[in-house]
Amino acid sequence: MVGITEMTNWAVDLIDVRKTYAKTIQALRGVNIQVGRGEIFGLLGPNGAGKTTLVKIMMTVVRPNNAFGTLLGRPLGHRGKLARIGYLPEAHRFPRYLTGERLLHYYAALAKVPRSRRKDTADDLLNRVGMAEWAGMRIDKYSKGMLQRLGIAQALMNDPELVVLDEPTDGLDPVGRRDVRELLLELKRDGRTVFLNSHLLSELEMVCDRVAILVDGLVARQGTLDELTEETVEYRITCATDAGTVKDKVKALGASVDANLLTLPGHDTARVNAAIDVLRGAGLVIESVQPHRFSLEDILVQVLKDQSTTGPPTPMARPVQ
Amino acid sequence: MQFWALIVDSFRESIDRKIFWVLVGVTALVALAMLSVGFHGDSVSLFFGMWSTETERFNPLMDYGRANLVGFVVYLLANTVMGWIGITLMIIATAGAFPAFMERGALDVVLAKPISRPRLFLYKYLATMVFVVLQGAFFFGLTFLIMGLRWGVWVPGYLFCIVLLVLLFSYLYCVSVLVAVKTRSSVAAILLTLLAWVAFALIHQAPVVFDEFPELKERRTLYTAVRVASWIPPKTGDFPYLAARWSRAGASIDAVPFFDTATASDLDREDLDRARKVEEREISKSQLYSIGSSLLFEIVIVLWAMWIFARKDY
Repeated sequence: MVGITEMTNWAVDLIDVRKTYAKTIQALRGVNIQVGRGEIFGLLGPNGAGKTTLVKIMMTVVRPNNAFGTLLGRPLGHRGKLARIGYLPEAHRFPRYLTGERLLHYYAALAKVPRSRRKDTADDLLNRVGMAEWAGMRIDKYSKGMLQRLGIAQALMNDPELVVLDEPTDGLDPVGRRDVRELLLELKRDGRTVFLNSHLLSELEMVCDRVAILVDGLVARQGTLDELTEETVEYRITCATDAGTVKDKVKALGASVDANLLTLPGHDTARVNAAIDVLRGAGLVIESVQPHRFSLEDILVQVLKDQSTTGPPTPMARPVQ
Repeated sequence: MQFWALIVDSFRESIDRKIFWVLVGVTALVALAMLSVGFHGDSVSLFFGMWSTETERFNPLMDYGRANLVGFVVYLLANTVMGWIGITLMIIATAGAFPAFMERGALDVVLAKPISRPRLFLYKYLATMVFVVLQGAFFFGLTFLIMGLRWGVWVPGYLFCIVLLVLLFSYLYCVSVLVAVKTRSSVAAILLTLLAWVAFALIHQAPVVFDEFPELKERRTLYTAVRVASWIPPKTGDFPYLAARWSRAGASIDAVPFFDTATASDLDREDLDRARKVEEREISKSQLYSIGSSLLFEIVIVLWAMWIFARKDY
């Protein structure tokens, strides 16, 4: 059931989104996600976490069992608002008999873009995604990377306020991926909101303002990159020789030793200094002390480890705007 | 705007299919065959004059021959070439439209556009029929012009065959779409549609069989059930009769004989009488009943398919 909730200023405000396939497979178990206007938001999670199902529910491709919330201030499923949203699905299949340019015109017409605007917009976007040269070529002659570039262009044909991209860099070479990243930042500069679903965590890290980690149909973590990595800093102290001799002493400080590397979780500098004292007291030469902030990948792995030991995450509360 | 976009897309999809050009080829062959026939005085020439014979039977210079000729053309072209071969090829050509449209990754983009699912379904359904309208208009338009320009026989009512062809196709296409949205398989859509076509014809003809055999007709319950059942499916078998009637309605000649007359001489007297009886009964049937009940069936099937389409996850 899609209900009408209060109007908010979130670009995306998803509340208690649930989806069960074939009455038994719970793909989403009460997802709450909020994306501010003008943000680049990344959705990540392992395969089968429900990311694509969530995106498809947002885009009305999949019907939820339960979903409240809004997109651009209108209830989920509001048809009129879809005219202001651009969407690139994962593993898209475009009509092979069309040329690149005709495809853009076709989808723009379905998105109710006035005919007078289509030509200029299509030309501009084909240039921006580097496809102008092949605009007149049939799509069945395109490589996967070219199709992906065209797909991104079609998602922008209606001058959207919100752009939902499911694996936008899939099939692109490194140069193409960099181009897409630049395009995403450009969209942000234009004031658009970007909702990104990608398994390439390093890319999300480079462009996203906020991310959510979806695990087993629930949001396990959600926040800015700083918020997520704040609790996951560790200090790495490298010694010139093996530090095994002080293993028990530093263990009391919460550190672990692996050959000449000592790892101290958290950002308690007092404990770091205490650990240094122990090492120096044992006559060990310290080569470096480095604070290490976890990457998204580290966080994801940690979340998955937590899940395997403590069970699935509990639903997160909706943040106050 | 959206409907037009889907129509243009369907047109592009149609011309991209080889079978579209096969049908165009069939039309071209028929046109060539018709052009090769000429009438001079009381003789008819075939193969651009390579062979000729004296006959009044199909000579448009004679009222009787002209009537026979038009009746034969309606029978052969409207009923056989387009009504059977054409419709079968069109069913094959269009069966893939919905499965392709509904492929994962293909429909996602379209569903994310500001258009409701029922409307999208209906637009796509109607847009796919562009294929049939184009083929029908080309075939009947061209043969109409050849009849007029080459033979001097103008039969405006013959152009109604375009409408009839689209109607006949739509009665079957709704079944194809229902199967397609349920199974997403074009092969299943083709096979089950052809099977449904045969079933419609059998159900439609069942009361005729009962009428022919009084001992069967005496079994009142069965007879009533058969008659009631015959009201439900589309009346695809009425196509040649309607084509004959509508052609006559706008003809410039006094009378167009019904299609069976062209081959009647091959039948013995008893068979001819029976054929005439059947034909008279079929022709005397209400057109409103024939088309109305068929369209009602189509509407029910389309609504059913639309309901499935609108409630699916993609």
